[in-house]
Amino acid sequence: MSVLAPDRARGLSAWMRGKTLAPYLFVLPNMVIFGVFTIWPAFNGFNLSFYDSSNGRTYRPVGTGNYSNILSDSQFWGVVQHTVLFTLGFVLLSTVLATALALMLNAQRRGRGALSAAYFLPVLISPVVVGIIWKAALDRTTGLVNEVLSAIGLGSPGWLVDSSLSLISIILVGTWIHLGFYAMILISGLQSIDTSLYEAARMDGASVWQSVRLITLPLLRPTLMVVIILATIAGFQAFDFVYTLTGGGPVGATTLIIQYIYENAFSYPIQYGLASAAAVILFVVVFAVTFVNYAIGRRSESI
Amino acid sequence: MKLRTKTALVCAAVLAASLTACAPGSSQSDAGPSAPASVDFNSFKGQTLTYVYFTDGPDEQATKDAIAKFEAVTGAKVNLQIVPFANLATSLQARLSAGNAPEVARVADWHPYADKEVDFKQYFGSNYPSEFTPGAAGTAMDSAGRMLAVPSDVTINGPMINVDAFKKAGVPVPAKWTWDELVASAKKVAAANNMPYAVAIDKSGNRLSTVLSQFGTVLVGPDGKNALDKDKAAKALTFFTDLVKSNVSPKDFWLGSGSKYTGANEIFLAGQVPVYLSGPWQVGAFAKSATFNWAAVPNPCQERCGGFPGGKFMIAFKDSKNPTLAAAFVQWMNRTENQREVDRSAYWLPTRKDLTDSGIEYANRQSDMSAFLSQIKATPSDTWTDANSPAFTASATSMINETDKVVAGKEDVQTAVENISAAIDKAIKAAGS
Repeated sequence: MSVLAPDRARGLSAWMRGKTLAPYLFVLPNMVIFGVFTIWPAFNGFNLSFYDSSNGRTYRPVGTGNYSNILSDSQFWGVVQHTVLFTLGFVLLSTVLATALALMLNAQRRGRGALSAAYFLPVLISPVVVGIIWKAALDRTTGLVNEVLSAIGLGSPGWLVDSSLSLISIILVGTWIHLGFYAMILISGLQSIDTSLYEAARMDGASVWQSVRLITLPLLRPTLMVVIILATIAGFQAFDFVYTLTGGGPVGATTLIIQYIYENAFSYPIQYGLASAAAVILFVVVFAVTFVNYAIGRRSESI
Repeated sequence: MKLRTKTALVCAAVLAASLTACAPGSSQSDAGPSAPASVDFNSFKGQTLTYVYFTDGPDEQATKDAIAKFEAVTGAKVNLQIVPFANLATSLQARLSAGNAPEVARVADWHPYADKEVDFKQYFGSNYPSEFTPGAAGTAMDSAGRMLAVPSDVTINGPMINVDAFKKAGVPVPAKWTWDELVASAKKVAAANNMPYAVAIDKSGNRLSTVLSQFGTVLVGPDGKNALDKDKAAKALTFFTDLVKSNVSPKDFWLGSGSKYTGANEIFLAGQVPVYLSGPWQVGAFAKSATFNWAAVPNPCQERCGGFPGGKFMIAFKDSKNPTLAAAFVQWMNRTENQREVDRSAYWLPTRKDLTDSGIEYANRQSDMSAFLSQIKATPSDTWTDANSPAFTASATSMINETDKVVAGKEDVQTAVENISAAIDKAIKAAGS
């Protein structure tokens, strides 16, 4: 049996009384769930990426074979190209539109709550349902969108079956889903800006556009960074609504990286190891892009 | 770098390294319990089995009724667990991996679980497969002659027509027709009824294999090797992709569904197409939903006649808690009287030889089911071994992807055929490894 020195015993006692332990106890339940259902599977997936398995029961070690197979797979590079284009388009469009929407809603005096709720509604709808709804709306022959376009003489574009239009379609639908959520984040950022700055600018004769450009956007930058990071992650992880909207078609034109992982893992021929390797690659890329975004944001702030 | 960050990174690296050193997967033995020479159906009272099932619709109640009878006869309890077809394979593999195998499962492909399946010949004798038609029995046997599944129902692809539309156009349906005759008739009917399309085919490797077989070739041969005749495959693909590219068969339907299986049943039910190539599993749903008269008709012949087979199987797991009860349940469900009852209500085609010979009296749509049944005899034998090959699914998926490229104008037919042939070789190699 060991005897603690008096000072150390007092320190431990204070720790045990909750001054230091309490915060950890508060986060413990969440961390346990996060550890079991996120951290552990993530590390397990990393481990699986060094094996080959077609059934999830028997595994054959293949070293880095899955990684070299992926990197030499032309389909993978096609998928990477689509994913990057989708993510760039989605981040750009959703950030610009969410900022514009946030500025408009913030300036709104009446009905702001109702309008915010209306724009936020798509976030609450299951992405699978969103895909099905837009699939019906964008159908070339029977869809609502083409009914309107053809009524005003703009023809009937193949939104979901024309390779050049299908990527644009999923960018638009992805933006529609997330627009309200990002706008809500930006509105909270706008409301944290001191209104006296605008009053001072007005007294100095600044126009509305000058106020937005010289006061709002610089002070909104930290919130915009959050939105850009969230949109980047959502862009790289887009799958559910795309799968029900286009199924990755036509001819793979909208197959993004998550669908590539999903199909390698759960469609014949099943390749759990290859799918895990692709997931590891996705993690590394998303982590790197997010880190660069964050670093650029911090650097801009310090300037 | 701060000390805390360094510590976190070191911990993560240690965890990753220790995990990497651990081989995943279970270390269960493949040796199941030794099979008894006979099964005593009176010994199951109070015992329970789990049956993992997916449903196509009308079969659910028919299966529940049959289970109720089994429970009454044996005193055993059957825990029916219905899962979506899309989740079936991952659900079963996860359960096997976790050492929690169900006793019985209904599957479309038994090969992925072959190492865990009961050999029914060990329980019911080496003549047990002969109770089934040779084609159906052949789909349930492995290369070592073990019967690792029981074919519970068989499907055969074939066309269905909108009878009202054909009547209105005054176009007769002959007892035998070629693809060219079928398309010419369908075009006339579509024009007379203002339908946008003439022929619709499910976006499915199994259905496209029907066209391939009718043009004289299959993907995998009876010897398990690549059997694709490239000239015949090129003719079949040219014929089919021309139909789709010219919108005689709906092009948007084909391109708009991506890599997913998609049925064209909604297009047929909406009255947009007079001829629809699918299979007998549609009969029950069409009997309920179709607002027009329709009928199943013979397949078109090109070089060969007949359709393309498919089917569902019941499998029993030897690592389950009660493999003997599992084997007994599968055998009981597929006895003549029980299979007949389920087939009647579920619009299934029988797999048993005696029922195929005698036929089934369905509650209604008898002539349509008979039309499908008659196609079994006309279907070439190499299609059964093709459909049963462990390399079939991957090969057929490649055929769909390559057909997509031809339809979209991104590839010519010759390149597509070469790519399909290469994919078959790869699939055969993967299935054998």
